[in-house]
Amino acid sequence: MLAFAEQAVNGLMMGSIYVFVALGMMLIYGVMHVLNFAHGALFMLGGYVAQTIFMRVFDNYLLAVAGAVLFLILIGALLERGVFAPLRGNLRNQVIASLGLVLVIQNTVVAVFGPNALQFPVQATRATVQLGPLSFAVQHLLIIAVGAACVAALFAFLHLTKLGTALRAVSQNPRGALVVGIDVEATHKLAFALSMALAAIGGALLGPLFLVFPQMGDLPLVKGLAGIVLGGMGSIPGAVLGGLAIGVIEATSTLVLPTDWKDVVVFCTIVVVLLLRPQGLFGLRTRDDHG
Amino acid sequence: MAENALLKAEAVSAGYGGRMIVEDVSLSVAPGEVLCLLGHNGAGKSTLLRAFFGLLPGRTGHVAVADRSLDGLTPRGVLLTGLAYVPQERSVFPKLTVRENLRMGGYALDDAALLARRVEQALDVFPRLRERIGQLAGTLSGGEQRMLEVARTLLLDPRVVMLDEPSIGLAPRLAEQVFSTIRDLAAQGRGILLVEQSVKRALAVSDRAVVMEMGRIVLEDSAAALASDDRVAKLYMGAAGKAFDQPPR
Ligand SMILES: Nc1ncnc2c1ncn2[C@@H]1O[C@H](COP(=O)(O)OP(=O)(O)O)[C@@H](O)[C@H]1O
Ligand SMILES: [Mg+2]
Repeated sequence: MLAFAEQAVNGLMMGSIYVFVALGMMLIYGVMHVLNFAHGALFMLGGYVAQTIFMRVFDNYLLAVAGAVLFLILIGALLERGVFAPLRGNLRNQVIASLGLVLVIQNTVVAVFGPNALQFPVQATRATVQLGPLSFAVQHLLIIAVGAACVAALFAFLHLTKLGTALRAVSQNPRGALVVGIDVEATHKLAFALSMALAAIGGALLGPLFLVFPQMGDLPLVKGLAGIVLGGMGSIPGAVLGGLAIGVIEATSTLVLPTDWKDVVVFCTIVVVLLLRPQGLFGLRTRDDHG
Repeated sequence: MAENALLKAEAVSAGYGGRMIVEDVSLSVAPGEVLCLLGHNGAGKSTLLRAFFGLLPGRTGHVAVADRSLDGLTPRGVLLTGLAYVPQERSVFPKLTVRENLRMGGYALDDAALLARRVEQALDVFPRLRERIGQLAGTLSGGEQRMLEVARTLLLDPRVVMLDEPSIGLAPRLAEQVFSTIRDLAAQGRGILLVEQSVKRALAVSDRAVVMEMGRIVLEDSAAALASDDRVAKLYMGAAGKAFDQPPR
């Protein structure tokens, strides 16, 4: 039971990381219908930027995370304007471009920082909290808490503000959005900025635990996608619950099966869920609506 | 053409990607008037409305509402100048509630208090929507969704409303409701530009009509006169091919 509780918390922690990835991808998918496969590489870039600021500039984790967010929002704006906007209306080329960006970003990072993993020694990875008989690194709990706060803030934004409602409106009916005077282009930029902010926070939170290295975004990308499929393509609540579920399933599976099997368990779960519910847990079986 | 026209279009040409679909169209709508735009499928009626609303880049000619030019404006600018548009395809947001859909109708308004008041006013006009205020728009019937689209245009208190085949797919009784709503809007002094496939019903609610063929206006007259015009009768009967061998003199 104790072991289960411990693995459940670990699972929620990794699940929160997957949620950052899944939500970021769903925000862009919602308005542009493009799965941005460069998201994992951008997540990794967020880790590097935060690590660099932390080690060389401020020695303050909060400022490092904030710096990574700002930097990635800037990069996202450039990518949206320079790559995705010119390819508007051509989904296939946008997806191919996002795959190409993975190579560009990873190789650039290797050229600048080298191929080796970098330390990102924030205090919270060493400090522990005692919860009953169990002790956890503060960083674990920080990831879960920041994840929950970001999800809550995103939901509040999407449902309680006019701009957030407009974002959902565009994802559900872009032509309808034009008719009521919503600036659809501007919502694409907004979705990109939010997505990049989430990627940066995710990378900056994971880096201190597992080091910062050029492939650090690959696994979160795959697991985030798995969360999206599990939760239901296009559904924001689905992305949250799907991402968390993937994290918890893989962590708790290690209690009964060898650790190497955890990916098998995750993908078997997805296959079973999709057999029973092809639209995912929260996906609706309708043609053209998202969000 | 009336001097006091609310909507005035002069020599409008527009199309897609450089291929012109509508050419040299001029028309006007007076306050309180319902102008009906008739024509076969593919004649360019929807394209013309899109062009008026500022959705087609490369449009030439001039469009104005109450003497304020719409040329070069974005849809938001067009809406704020006083022209609203209900397109042929569904434009509700299926997973927003009725209330959220109405609020989005007033997206261009910056005054939150005014927006809230206008939502209430629109709900007074459409009590049926008030009953369904918290429901997702996608769960409404086809007729209710049309009503929501029309109600949504009221949020900006438009001078002119363009409706593209608002009765399409609706049961006759619901279509009647839509048409009576359109008459109500006109009675408030708004100008209405109505596109309709069903010629008889359209002429019954309209004051004046223009007939479009291959992107050009080929006939224009009062609705009453056109209702008894045998060329329109042919169109109405769904006669194959062109209803007009040549443009009227
Ligand atoms: N989005 C579009 N892109 C290119 N051509 C279009 C588009 N929409 C309509 N057309 C063409 O424009 C012409 C007029 O169409 P439309 O304006 O929809 O006619 P109507 O509304 O009178 O039935 C048709 O030949 C149609 O194929
Ligand atoms: Mg049409």
